[in-house]
Amino acid sequence: MTQPMNFSRRGFLVSGTALAALGAFSGSAFSQSEKVFRLGALNSITGIGGPYGPYMLEAIKIAVAEVNDAGGAAGRKFQLFAEDDQTKPEAAVLAVKKLIEINKVEAVVGIWPSSVGLATMPITNEANLITMNTCGAPEMLTENKKGLAWMFQASNAIFGSAFAEVARQRGFKRPAVMAFNNSTFVGQANHFKESWEAKGGKVSAFVIYEPNQSSYRTELSRVLATKPDVISLSAYRPDATIILKEWCQSGQDCKFIMPGWTANEDLVKALGKEATEGIISISNVAASQSPAYKRFAAAFKKVANREPDIFAAQSYDMVITLALAIEATGASADVLAINGKIPSITSGNGQAVTSFTEGRDALRNGKPVNYNGASSRLDFGKHGETVPDFGVFDIQDGNLVLKETIPGHTPA
Amino acid sequence: MEGYLIAIFISILIYLLLAGGLALQYGFTGLVNFGHVGFFAIGSYTSALLALKGVPIPISLAAATALAALSAYPLGMIALRLGGDYLAIVTLGFSEAVRMMLQTEEWLTRGMHGLPGIPRLFAGWVEPQKTDLLILILLVVVCVGVFFLIHHIIKSPFGRVIEAIRDNEVAVRALGKNPAQFKTRSLMLGAGIAGLAGGLQAHYLTFISPEQYVPLITFYIWIALVLGGVGSLRGVVMGTVLLVGFLEGSRFIRDVIGGVSEVQMASLRIWVIGVALICVILYRPQGLFGSSPKRSR
Amino acid sequence: MDWLSVANAAINGIVIGMLLALPALAITLVFGIARFPNAATGDYMTLGAYTTVASQAFLGGSVVTSVFGAMSVTALVSLFFYFWVFRALAERSQVARLIASIGVAFAVRSTITFFAGQDQHVVDVPLVRAWNFGGIRLLPTDLYILTTALTALVIVFCIMHLTPTGRRMRAIADNAELAAASGIRSKRVMIFLWSLTGAFCGLGGALLGIKAVVVPELGWELLMPMFAGVILGGIGSPVGAVLGIVTFSIAQEVASLFAGPPYKIVFAFVILLCVLLLRPQGMFGRPMAAR
Repeated sequence: MTQPMNFSRRGFLVSGTALAALGAFSGSAFSQSEKVFRLGALNSITGIGGPYGPYMLEAIKIAVAEVNDAGGAAGRKFQLFAEDDQTKPEAAVLAVKKLIEINKVEAVVGIWPSSVGLATMPITNEANLITMNTCGAPEMLTENKKGLAWMFQASNAIFGSAFAEVARQRGFKRPAVMAFNNSTFVGQANHFKESWEAKGGKVSAFVIYEPNQSSYRTELSRVLATKPDVISLSAYRPDATIILKEWCQSGQDCKFIMPGWTANEDLVKALGKEATEGIISISNVAASQSPAYKRFAAAFKKVANREPDIFAAQSYDMVITLALAIEATGASADVLAINGKIPSITSGNGQAVTSFTEGRDALRNGKPVNYNGASSRLDFGKHGETVPDFGVFDIQDGNLVLKETIPGHTPA
Repeated sequence: MEGYLIAIFISILIYLLLAGGLALQYGFTGLVNFGHVGFFAIGSYTSALLALKGVPIPISLAAATALAALSAYPLGMIALRLGGDYLAIVTLGFSEAVRMMLQTEEWLTRGMHGLPGIPRLFAGWVEPQKTDLLILILLVVVCVGVFFLIHHIIKSPFGRVIEAIRDNEVAVRALGKNPAQFKTRSLMLGAGIAGLAGGLQAHYLTFISPEQYVPLITFYIWIALVLGGVGSLRGVVMGTVLLVGFLEGSRFIRDVIGGVSEVQMASLRIWVIGVALICVILYRPQGLFGSSPKRSR
Repeated sequence: MDWLSVANAAINGIVIGMLLALPALAITLVFGIARFPNAATGDYMTLGAYTTVASQAFLGGSVVTSVFGAMSVTALVSLFFYFWVFRALAERSQVARLIASIGVAFAVRSTITFFAGQDQHVVDVPLVRAWNFGGIRLLPTDLYILTTALTALVIVFCIMHLTPTGRRMRAIADNAELAAASGIRSKRVMIFLWSLTGAFCGLGGALLGIKAVVVPELGWELLMPMFAGVILGGIGSPVGAVLGIVTFSIAQEVASLFAGPPYKIVFAFVILLCVLLLRPQGMFGRPMAAR
């Protein structure tokens, strides 16, 4: 009890020295020639992002290996530093500081939740780092003050109105909305409602549910009681599994429109074919058809033993996009120059390429390129957002069958 | 490098404030508060919302402290009637209820969307890279102040009464003191400190959302207290440094050993904390840095 | 709100309540006999659910054998932690045991995720349609769950009232000092208590896994409602725990029809407060002196 602050100061010194030693050690262990690009992966390995983050990291590793096996981007090989943000902003802040300060990364990829995106953006902006994320919150666009952040996932607004669009095209009359209570899905649900009601319709029920429950029957009954012909279900896999199980058992007839990262083969595996039959699954279109996706999916399956989800595909694209931008700027370019090249190598009239080597070869021949990724065509808007075309899939007999493609657009 | 160390120290100091408040409540008064994160959340949101409305940060921080302390008052009233384990459950429920309100009352808190763009402490005073250092210095000052205050309180007549309450409530009552009043004050004081910590964190992170205020934070603080030793401020400080140091330091373990996947590393980290907690309670009840095994209850 | 939705919500509440009655009983017995709120209860459930999935995946076998397997595994784990941790802490403060149980919870859950990962798993059971009685829906799966839970509860109540160990257990739960003074040896009671706790949590977790999905936070997330239910029923009272958690679950489901789902937890908290302030002994507990 005597002089507590004395001890605390000593404590800081001790742990400070220990950390410094660790930092120095990891620095020396990874010391290298100047021809590397230090890449940070900030993934949600644990927490709510747990079902997606580990696979995003796998995808990043696959892309890094692809680039490095091809001799690197403009001769620079990627050196990967991975951190877990625990799907929590305050943990993410420390993790990203570690990536910046200790690992001296020049770009951070794989950020999944908007909360982490928003919490880390001031830091990465200050350090002039390129960040690539799958965040869907509209605030990402306004906070992207330096233009260093790239949103590989369509924003909630775009997703929500695409859902409404699909519901209208399929001739549904009484849609209901159910959404997981987080920023992404509540945003999606609100935009669905807005965009549906803007064209004179009415939403029969609007239910936001709390996650981590063992049954959603009461919430579901509330929705089903209004006799909807379709439910826009914005959910992650665990809750979607329970809800669909309970819906199937209820025996009431209705359809579901769901985001592609939930309504996929994994969901079918969890629920069986009966409960998933006829679900309308919406995701960025490039999937399954594009050569980039096919190649990536094959590599991914070898490692992870399953189909990649959209976030994994986006994470893969992040690295490839970055690699092409580095290739286009040259070996000695700085981060800002690389960042400036990202729009030009992903859109425009350049030669359409679907892999790193293809793009690199074209660039070396002096041709402009347009990378069409595994997750979408990747055309970035002026705030760094993607506005992909959406593929509308029906789950038939356990398989996702592409029905039509609708252009995504930012709602007014 | 310095930037990362500064970030870690900021994190440690924020936890240290929380731990200080809890030490006052539990270590010295015996109040089993399992809802500490609730006061932390109230502080964060109060200060952030006020600052976003244009209130100067010092005033918003003061408001955060005050509101967090006030919110502890009703809980204090309940605490009078209940024994330790009940209070644990009630306070846990309180913090969850706070989180749910933050999630649901979108008109006020923007719900799950969180609050981006919270004014940063010292923004514009110096170049952006230096603000963290200033925040660190401020936190050190605040921590020294708070720990000095706690130290002072413990040594004061009031402090002797609350320690006596912890050890023998009946005797205190027999002496004509009203333990209830002392308990409430101690609870409010601890809550106010947590609220201040919350406000400071909000102006450091610049983004807050309800998901940050889960009971796990409360448990971490408890773990820090138990590891370090509940009965002394030295133990509190060392426990906090040890816990945050380990949580952060474990990031480097993977860089060094390899062969363990990120998912497994995350599990391993929690496992070590869990087992360390068990072992300390079993084999070193006074905490790793505590020296006074006088508590034998 | 029409009465049909209320009835369906109530039925749902009964099913969930009966399922949670198993771990709730474990909580209340541990509270009554070992004298602390066991925060590891939820993670014992999670362990039960994962063991069910694992034994189904690796050993084949029917759901029933998997569930029995899960019960034995959780019972063993529970015994292990009794012998290692809680026995040694018997003479220490309640808070020490509570904190230690948080450590146990962390250790159990992280061991599970170390091997099983963060992703969800499902117990493989066929999906069956609900029986529809004029709008009131009953699920066959829910009926199985109800029957299983009821059977387990009946067995335990028989043991507690008809066997010597059970009677000793109740005596200790009623008054530990008195029981000790009258020479009741508690070691056998403790072994019985912790195997029962483990088995019941395992069973509860397995049933929950069948009903919902198996995720690492499955049990941990349920601690709060379970404690609330137990307090409502009166801490330490086995009948109270069962009726408390069932009442609580029904109330929670029905209330969420009116108040909106996010307020479920707030509602739990309000019930808790009201009970503690107005009737601290709960529905069935006996008045306790302030401790």
